[in-house]
Amino acid sequence: MPAIFVAFSWLGVTSFGGNTAAWLYHQIAQRRQWVTDAEFLSGVALSRIMPGSGGVNLTVQVGQRLRGSAGAVAAVVGLLSGPLVIVVALAVAYTRIGWNPAVRAVLDGIAAAAIGLTFATGLKLLPSGSARFGPLAVTLATVLCVGVLRWPMLPVVLCLAPISIGLALARGRNA
Amino acid sequence: MPDDFRTLLALVLVFVPLSLLSIGGGASLLADMEHQSVGVRGWTTPREFADLFAISRAAPGPGTMLAALIGWKAAGWTGAVTATVALYLPSSLLVYGAARLWSRWRGSVWHTAVERGLAPVAAGLLMSGGIAVLRTSPGGPAVWAPAVIATVLLLRWPRLHPLALFAASGALFGVVALW
Repeated sequence: MPAIFVAFSWLGVTSFGGNTAAWLYHQIAQRRQWVTDAEFLSGVALSRIMPGSGGVNLTVQVGQRLRGSAGAVAAVVGLLSGPLVIVVALAVAYTRIGWNPAVRAVLDGIAAAAIGLTFATGLKLLPSGSARFGPLAVTLATVLCVGVLRWPMLPVVLCLAPISIGLALARGRNA
Repeated sequence: MPDDFRTLLALVLVFVPLSLLSIGGGASLLADMEHQSVGVRGWTTPREFADLFAISRAAPGPGTMLAALIGWKAAGWTGAVTATVALYLPSSLLVYGAARLWSRWRGSVWHTAVERGLAPVAAGLLMSGGIAVLRTSPGGPAVWAPAVIATVLLLRWPRLHPLALFAASGALFGVVALW
């Protein structure tokens, strides 16, 4: 349990630029191997279609998977307490001394590289294997509709997910 | 009822509904948060709201930590904690319930098919999230270049630690700004 808290605390204070999910994959799935790629991805899907912050929702699920309710609490409290202190401290500093442009630029630079981690994670988790063309088309359609065309995410997912699940069922039967 | 308590209660009343309505992540929340904290409750001026938004983007953690800052502005540290709990607890309970239900089916044919079927959608959503952040980032094209370079480096050398890359990119931006 302390290990979960520590892992997610570190995750919280180092997840810049809104990339909690990608960072979670790197730290929790790859380095610690606490969840599989498949568990991570289904967690991401659920975390995005449910209300709330995607990163927090994903953290709840991983915590639950690891140690039930206590795991979920440890993971979420760990994830949020560090950033809470930092963000308020930044606000206090801002009201006292104003925005230092250099500090601002450093934070922008960190956020830019953090977006790179998100893309790299998405690309790394692209469907692979022999029967990958259907799934790849689904990924491409998702990026096109949600990312490029900015269609509302929920209807897109509700439309593409059943198709993709049907494909997976069909593949399962053939295998 | 003391004023402090009344403010905290107001924070709960504002953020609990937002927690349950915020499908699609933080971006859809922003307009509602601004409306409530600037227009309805008067916790911040429009200018302060914009500043707090910029601070919350720069800090680590979920983008919606802006809620903590609005709480802080309204009622200090207790306000920050109250707003954070009010925003994250209801949605977290909901997801927790869903996750428990979901894990009960583990091992069934359906569970496997749904998990496999959701994976390509999730990979697409991850990248769409990255695109959305890029699009709204204040840096403009200057942010695109390091993002693309970081992507290539991380795919080429998987052992490269992302934090090293974050630090390098941050330092580069800092040096350019001071120039």
